Amino acid sequence: VPGFAAGGSGIDGDVSIMAASISGYTFSSVCFHSANSNSDHEGFLLGEVRQEETVSISDTQISTAELLQVVEIHNHDPCAQLFSFYDYAGKVNEDNLNRILKDRRKSVIGWYRFRRNTQQQMSFREQIIHKQLTQLLGVPDLVFLLFSFISTANSSTHALEYVLFRPNRRYNQRITLTIPNLGNTSQQEYKVSSVPNTSLNYAKVIKEHGAEFFDKDGVMKDIRTIFQVYSALQDKVQAVCGEVEQSERVKEKIQEDVNKLKQQIALRKRKTAEEERRLREAQNAESHPTSEENSEPSETSLLSRVAFHAPSAPERPGTSPNPPSYSDLLSQEDSLLSSSSSPTSAALLPRPQAVGSPGHPTPGPLGMGLGLSLGLGSDSLDRQAAGQEDDDDDDDDDDDDDEDSSEYENLVSEAAHLPMVSASVLAQGRPAALSPDGDARGSQTS
Amino acid sequence: MNNMSPEVALHRISPELRPLLCSVVRNGRVGLDSTNCLRVTDLKTGCTSLTPGPCCDRFKLHIPYAGETLKWDIIFNARYPELPPDFIFGEDAEFLPEPSELPHLVQWDAGDPECLLQLVKELIQQYHQYQCQRLRESSRLLFEYDSLLEDPNYGRNMEIYAGRKNSWVGDRIVLVCPSFISIMSSLSQDTALDPGEDVALLSVSFEDAEATQVFPKLYLSPSIEHALGGSSALHIPAFPSGGCLIDYVPQVCQLLTNKVQYVIQGYHKRREYIAAFLSHFGMGVVEYDAEGFTKLTLLLMWKDFCFLVHVDLPLYFPRDQPTLTFQSVYHFTNSGQLYSQVQKSYPYSPRWDGNEMAKRAKAYFKSFIPQFQEGAFANGKL
Repeated sequence: VPGFAAGGSGIDGDVSIMAASISGYTFSSVCFHSANSNSDHEGFLLGEVRQEETVSISDTQISTAELLQVVEIHNHDPCAQLFSFYDYAGKVNEDNLNRILKDRRKSVIGWYRFRRNTQQQMSFREQIIHKQLTQLLGVPDLVFLLFSFISTANSSTHALEYVLFRPNRRYNQRITLTIPNLGNTSQQEYKVSSVPNTSLNYAKVIKEHGAEFFDKDGVMKDIRTIFQVYSALQDKVQAVCGEVEQSERVKEKIQEDVNKLKQQIALRKRKTAEEERRLREAQNAESHPTSEENSEPSETSLLSRVAFHAPSAPERPGTSPNPPSYSDLLSQEDSLLSSSSSPTSAALLPRPQAVGSPGHPTPGPLGMGLGLSLGLGSDSLDRQAAGQEDDDDDDDDDDDDDEDSSEYENLVSEAAHLPMVSASVLAQGRPAALSPDGDARGSQTS
Repeated sequence: MNNMSPEVALHRISPELRPLLCSVVRNGRVGLDSTNCLRVTDLKTGCTSLTPGPCCDRFKLHIPYAGETLKWDIIFNARYPELPPDFIFGEDAEFLPEPSELPHLVQWDAGDPECLLQLVKELIQQYHQYQCQRLRESSRLLFEYDSLLEDPNYGRNMEIYAGRKNSWVGDRIVLVCPSFISIMSSLSQDTALDPGEDVALLSVSFEDAEATQVFPKLYLSPSIEHALGGSSALHIPAFPSGGCLIDYVPQVCQLLTNKVQYVIQGYHKRREYIAAFLSHFGMGVVEYDAEGFTKLTLLLMWKDFCFLVHVDLPLYFPRDQPTLTFQSVYHFTNSGQLYSQVQKSYPYSPRWDGNEMAKRAKAYFKSFIPQFQEGAFANGKL
């Protein structure tokens, strides 16, 4: 039996840990033979034993070597009847043993017995036989696998129990027997056993049909195909990235234009306000004020009217200066409407209401995201009035709101913050820029 | 653990194995304690569950030994009844007898109904040896055992049990009180004792190696215990610390012997007493205990007044005097019983012989009866 250290470590020596495994088909075969027998049943276990040495190095210790003895059961050889190789006194007859095992004798690593409704303990005769087998077969650590079938009195429940013993040791006589791939596979991977497959039929079939699955390099064809799909997807994603970048740049440009226009509006307003004040002062200096105020240029009155409309939303406590020009809004919206498809346009439609109306759009995810992607809307005005100033938020939806209010604030207070704001708009606006069906053509394409 | 009667076990076991089990449960006596017969439990089958019964072929055998009960699994195969059984020795996992010492295993003959019983006896012998081996580890009891072995009185009639380190059981030796065997045979002629059934065992437990905690116990079969006057009557002396079994055991046996002899004496005396009464009172005797001679009933008349006298002879007669119960044949008490009076003290001496006792009793009756009659009329209803 291969695998024993040349130094001949004693049975109770260093090799104290043992792991054993049995292939699933061998196990089921043994169970089948056993369950079908109408009496006790026994046979031999064939396989191999090898030693694995694990060297572990840790900070506290210099390397420790651990010897693990691994027993693998590959096959079994059932005995046709009881007492086939031993007599009533339990004495093993070597000739009979050879006749049963033939040339498989050298791969015997243990033997097994099956008995129903008995304890999981080696019996008198089993112990006697085991001692002799150890001697005769020359396997110092011969294992013994005991199967027991326990049935309840009314035959409603049957349990197959199995224990692997190594009786030649004084302590730790029971070893856990693992069956690869039998168990809770949700937590484990499917293990490939190291049991060599010696079946000729299997080798023949694989050779014949292998070409359908493997290419000339021995790699499975499926793998290549999948890889190709993967590459194609990657290319597409790259292309989309390019498109997104483009559209983002366009959006950025437009945003800059908008900001500039806003600046101009603000400037003009200040000028007109100053002029009015001067006029008023001049008029006051003369006599009473006339009703000429009412005949002021329509655009200023329109502006101021818009200004007063905006704050009429119930939530907002005070007035908010510098709302965008309504005409500006409409012109941009037209371009949007023309290019987008139905779900997005439906979401965009309510916007005109949103700007001047008391209510603001219901916070559906679509409406929120898309409606605010331009950085406009009463929500932003609300937020500003309420005093929210959050600039960088984690959440995308919230980001849109807050980013807009901050933008407004910056407009009012300083023009210097604009570049930063536009960058943040870009950064946070991107998810919103894509329509829900993932199409790159979004609200921003012109 | 299902306690089943032997008959149930025999019913469930596979027919081919039945004779073997039969001799075990019906006649099986192994070891010193012959009152405790072998018990069978946990009858199971080694055949498939579809096999029609009865087909049980494996069971647990309970064997009394040295005050313990060994529980051994015996495993047959119903489909191959000619094959010898296998054993699992329960907790004694290290007990591994040499097959060459078990002739009934090596030459197993399934046709011989006694084969299993003999094999079990051989196993018990080997188990005894195994226990002696285990005692090598604690030399105290072994020394005692060896010394007892040499004495022909005890010889091989001993069971030894080496206690387990992790349980409360200490080392124990059980032996048959040797002189008791001869006593028993003489006793059995006189009393209803069966030498095959009855036993007197002395069990001595050593809880520690220095023999400072030694617990002796006397086990008597129920009939012997009863014959000797109950468990309270028999107290054995405590084991002297630092003493030896070789001294102690004869002491106990002597005590037992004395008791038994006393009982035998008492038996003879009682017989004599009854015989005397029979001859003195003749027709007046209604009935008496003809086996143990413990009771006697007389129907007497004095001046047209009839009355019954019940005589109860105690165990330690003639040391203890018999109880006389006078009973009226006419009068009842309120509870519906016959009016009676008990007399425990009356002129009596243990030194009188039977005849003398009968004469004196007669005289006493004459003197007491008028009193009794008055009492009966006064307190009883017709």
